Amino acid sequence: MTSPTVRVLYIDDEENNLQAFRAAFRRQYEIYTAPSAAEGLKIMQHIDIHVVLADQKMPNTTGVEFFKSIVKTHPDPVRILLTGYTDIEALADAINHGDIYRYVAKPWNDLELHNSMKNAYDSYVARADLKNKITELEKTNDELNRFIYSISHELRAPLVSVIGIINLVKMEGLYNSSGEYWNLIETCSNKLDYYIQKTLQYYKNTKDIPDRSEIDFSQLVNELIELHTYADKDTTFHVNIIQKAKFIGDAFRIEVILSNLISNAIKYQKSNELNKTVNIEIDVDEFEARIEINDNGLGILKEHLEKIFTQFFKSKIHHGTGLGLFIVKEALNKINGVINVSSNIEDGTTFKITIPNAK
Amino acid sequence: MPNKTGKVLLIDDNDIDLKINSKVIKLSNFFDEIILCQSGEEGIKYITTNLENPALWPDFILLDIQMPEMDGFEFLEIYKHFPQTFLDHCKLAILSSTLDFGDIKKAEANPLVIKLLKKPLYPNELKELLDRTTTLLGS
Repeated sequence: MTSPTVRVLYIDDEENNLQAFRAAFRRQYEIYTAPSAAEGLKIMQHIDIHVVLADQKMPNTTGVEFFKSIVKTHPDPVRILLTGYTDIEALADAINHGDIYRYVAKPWNDLELHNSMKNAYDSYVARADLKNKITELEKTNDELNRFIYSISHELRAPLVSVIGIINLVKMEGLYNSSGEYWNLIETCSNKLDYYIQKTLQYYKNTKDIPDRSEIDFSQLVNELIELHTYADKDTTFHVNIIQKAKFIGDAFRIEVILSNLISNAIKYQKSNELNKTVNIEIDVDEFEARIEINDNGLGILKEHLEKIFTQFFKSKIHHGTGLGLFIVKEALNKINGVINVSSNIEDGTTFKITIPNAK
Repeated sequence: MPNKTGKVLLIDDNDIDLKINSKVIKLSNFFDEIILCQSGEEGIKYITTNLENPALWPDFILLDIQMPEMDGFEFLEIYKHFPQTFLDHCKLAILSSTLDFGDIKKAEANPLVIKLLKKPLYPNELKELLDRTTTLLGS
């Protein structure tokens, strides 16, 4: 195996040092030398240098000044400062502003300097690898984003057409014309649509950084109730919202949280209950929003209460996807919210949520 | 019941959706004429050629977002340059299956879009919207 070519630039105003350096290291490294910072910079502009060494004490520009000057333009080469003086100030400066990797005292010891340059090169390679990995990751991430976007369109659009056709079948009075087949198609289509929607919600929640926008709870809750009661108007909502202060929070996640809870409250009602009710109480001040959603629905078995927030948990009787409350919990985690639940089979379920005001 | 007047222009690249939505509108009897356009360009062309003839103006447009070449937002960029008299006459809603938060917010923020309707199109939803718009227009 051939060892990689390591390109080293050494800048020093004393020609003797440059010569000694070349003589000592030309077998192991590809050596470039320059008598001044300006000459050194010229070389760096044309050649991809891996390790750059500079003498501290030079007439026009000191080694540290040189390193400082290339921090932005040439961030990749790893820097080593050589100096014959124990100049504490220069050293502090070099470490704080010149981003140097090693400090080597002059006159140097060949072995020590060789090791320093070897380690410097390893560090260069590690940094370059990391940079490539990051670029690769960004690319993968980007592809994933586009993939998710296309799922939300390409995969869902035809499904929505199917639901539209079922809708037309109903309008034309043909829904019951083929036994229960239309009903079965409708159930399957709705289920698939629900899964696509929840998958997207989950993905978006794990990925997006929290955004900050002003939230009008009254408007949001009423929109969500309107949306979810569209197909099922049996449930009565009592909404009481007191918003005493402006609330800043993550609009998408708060919508996902409320939407899932409201949808559940409607979905898991007792079918024989004549007075299906959902109460929503929201109290917003400058510190937090306290939300309580209470229903007189089916309730949750005591032994299930601990599991309802885990992914794919579903009870045997009620056919959910096992995603809704899991997504609620995940979304709350992202925005430092807290959720508590109390429930029993007789009275129904109450969810209490607290979301901090990011104002 | 919205009075059965006027024309609706449907813009959607998906011919199945065009068929479904025009059928829904026809069955619900909301408009007496349905004009179908398979692309944003076709929609712009219809309006441009009939600009001098208000009798042929659509009263309502249902616009899809995801279309090849010219998407819904690009359509709106051109649409907004039509004369104010036309824009006052014709109301526009988006009809899309999108779940993309960005798309939804962008559509809601556009002053020319009175509402974002989600596919599938339900007659009740459209009726509500049409009722609301006619009261808004005071006619």
